[in-house]
Amino acid sequence: MLPSFYEFYNPVKIVSGHKALDNLPYELEQAGAKRPIIITDKGVVGAGLVDLVVSAFGSSDMTIGAIYDDVPPDSSVGVVNDIVKIYRQNKCDSIVAVGGGSPIDTAKGVNIVITEEADDLMKFMGAEMLKKPMKPLIVIPTTSGTGSEVTLVAVISNPEKNVKMAFASKHLLPKAAILDPRMTLTMPPHITAATGMDALTHSVEAYICLQKNPLSDVHAIAAINLVRKNLINAVKNGKDSEARLAMANAACMAGAAFSNSMVGIVHSLGHATGAVCHVPHGLAMSIFLPHCLEYNMSKCSENIGELLLAVAGPEEYVKTASADRAAKTVEAIRKLQRELNEICKLPMTLKDAGVPKDKLGQIARTAINDGSVTMNPVEMDFDDALGILKKAYE
Amino acid sequence: MKSYEPVNAGRKWFKELVSKIVFLVLGRAFQSAAKFDPLIRREVAEWREGFVLVMRVLPSGPVMVMEKSGGLIRHKGSKLPDSADVTINFKNIECAFLVLTPQMGAAQAFAENRLSVAGDLMYAMAFTRCLNVLLTYLYPLSFITKRLLKRIPPMDFLKFGRIIYIYCLGIPFGL
Repeated sequence: MLPSFYEFYNPVKIVSGHKALDNLPYELEQAGAKRPIIITDKGVVGAGLVDLVVSAFGSSDMTIGAIYDDVPPDSSVGVVNDIVKIYRQNKCDSIVAVGGGSPIDTAKGVNIVITEEADDLMKFMGAEMLKKPMKPLIVIPTTSGTGSEVTLVAVISNPEKNVKMAFASKHLLPKAAILDPRMTLTMPPHITAATGMDALTHSVEAYICLQKNPLSDVHAIAAINLVRKNLINAVKNGKDSEARLAMANAACMAGAAFSNSMVGIVHSLGHATGAVCHVPHGLAMSIFLPHCLEYNMSKCSENIGELLLAVAGPEEYVKTASADRAAKTVEAIRKLQRELNEICKLPMTLKDAGVPKDKLGQIARTAINDGSVTMNPVEMDFDDALGILKKAYE
Repeated sequence: MKSYEPVNAGRKWFKELVSKIVFLVLGRAFQSAAKFDPLIRREVAEWREGFVLVMRVLPSGPVMVMEKSGGLIRHKGSKLPDSADVTINFKNIECAFLVLTPQMGAAQAFAENRLSVAGDLMYAMAFTRCLNVLLTYLYPLSFITKRLLKRIPPMDFLKFGRIIYIYCLGIPFGL
C-alpha cells in the first residue's frame, strides 16, 4: 500500500565497478575541483588502500593538497579542527574521504567548518542548520555496512563536553560515492560479517519502519537480495571481488533506503549497547535484529513476511504459507547468524559479545531516548527494551 | 493582446485561524501539564534555562513559542523570536491543519515528511515525547488517541482529575 505522502531524496552519483576508483580525478574535475585533501585512517593506510587512491590520480593534472591519515575510530571535534587547518594551509578545494564511518563523518564535519567559514562546529549541530552548498566531497568506502556515502547525517564526538553531536542536512550528502571492490578486499572475515549484517539491518528496518515508501522499498529489497547471495562468499573468501562489489552495492542501497525511511528499535538498542558497553555497531545489529523483528511482529507481520522472498529466496517463499512467512523470515535471519558464527565466530548473544548482565538496565534507559524509536512501528518503553535485552542476552 | 498580471497568493483564513487557536490551546496546556505530569516535568528539567522552542507553519503561517524560564516551561505567544533551540516546521498550512485538528499523529506526520525540524534533535525527541503525553490529556477519548499514538496509556482517577484541571484552569488561565 502506498503511503498517503512521502519524500525520497538521493542526489549522490554512484560510480560502481572494478577499477571504479580510476574515475576519481574525472569526478573531481566534474565538481570543479583540482586540489583535494584525502581524509583517512591508519588502518586504511596500513592496508595499502591510500596508495591505490593516490595512483588513481596518475596522468591527471591534479594535485593532492594533503593526505590526513590519523582519523581515530570515533571522529572528534579536535580532529576536524586539525584537518581544517591543514586544508586551509594547503589551499585545498575539495575533500576525498577514504574509509569507514569515522573518516566519512569527519570529512562531513570538515566540510561544514570550511564551507561556513566558521571556527566552532557546535553552532551547526542538529537538523537543517546548514544553508550553503558544500565543497565537493567524494566518498570511497572501505567497509560495506554503514551506507554513510549516501546518508545526510554525520556524528562527531565532543570529548570535552562528553557528547556525540549529530548533524543532519541535505547539504552533507557527497557529490559522488565510488564503490570499488579493491577497497574492501582486505577486510577481515568478522568485520565483513558484522558490517554485512549492518547493511541487512538497514534494509530490513527501512522496509518495516513508519517512513517506508515505494522507492526506499525497492532499494531495501535489492540490497537484501545481494546480501543473501554474497555475504557468506565475501566472509569465506575475502578475495572474491564479485562478492565484495555486490556487498558494497548492498550497503550503498541499504544506506539510500534507510536515509529516506529511517530505522527503528534495532538501531535504538544497538546505539545504546555501543554507547554503554562499546559493542561494535554491526555486531549489535546482528544480535538484535531477529529479537526486534519478533517484537514488531504484532504490528507489521505482513511486511516482515514479504521480506522472506529476499531473505530466503523464491523457493522458500513459495513453499511457505503466507501466515507463516513472518516467522520464517526471522528463522532465515537466525540461520544466517549461525552460519556466520560457525565461519568467523560472530557472537550471537550479548553475553558472547562481552556485555555484563548488570548493564542491561542502563542500556534500556539509553535506548528509549534514541531518536530511532520514533519511527519504529511499535512503541518501546523501558520495560519493553529490557525485555528484548534479556532475550538477546543468552 | 491578452494582458498577464501578477496573482497574489491569498490566504487560507479558516485553517490559519484554527491553527492559531490550537497553538494557543497546546501552548497553555503544555505550560500547565509541565507542572504536574511526571514525564513532562522530567523532560523539561533537562532543558537549559532560557531554552526556546518554536512551532510554526511555513512559509508564513501561525507561530507558537515556548520558553523555559524560572525552571518552568511557559507559553510565550506567537511572535517569532530571533533564534530558537528547536524549531518544528509544518511544511504547509494543510499538513498543520491535519495534525492540529487532530486527524494525524506527530509521529506519522514526521514519518511522512510533513514536518521538518531545525535544531538539536535530542530536544526535538524530548518535545515529541512530551507532545504524546499532552495529547492524552487533550484528547482523552480513545477513538481519537488511537489515531494519534502507537500505544494509549490507561485512564485512571488521577489522570481524569488532571484532564479536568487542564481544561478548566490550564487552557483558560494558563495555570
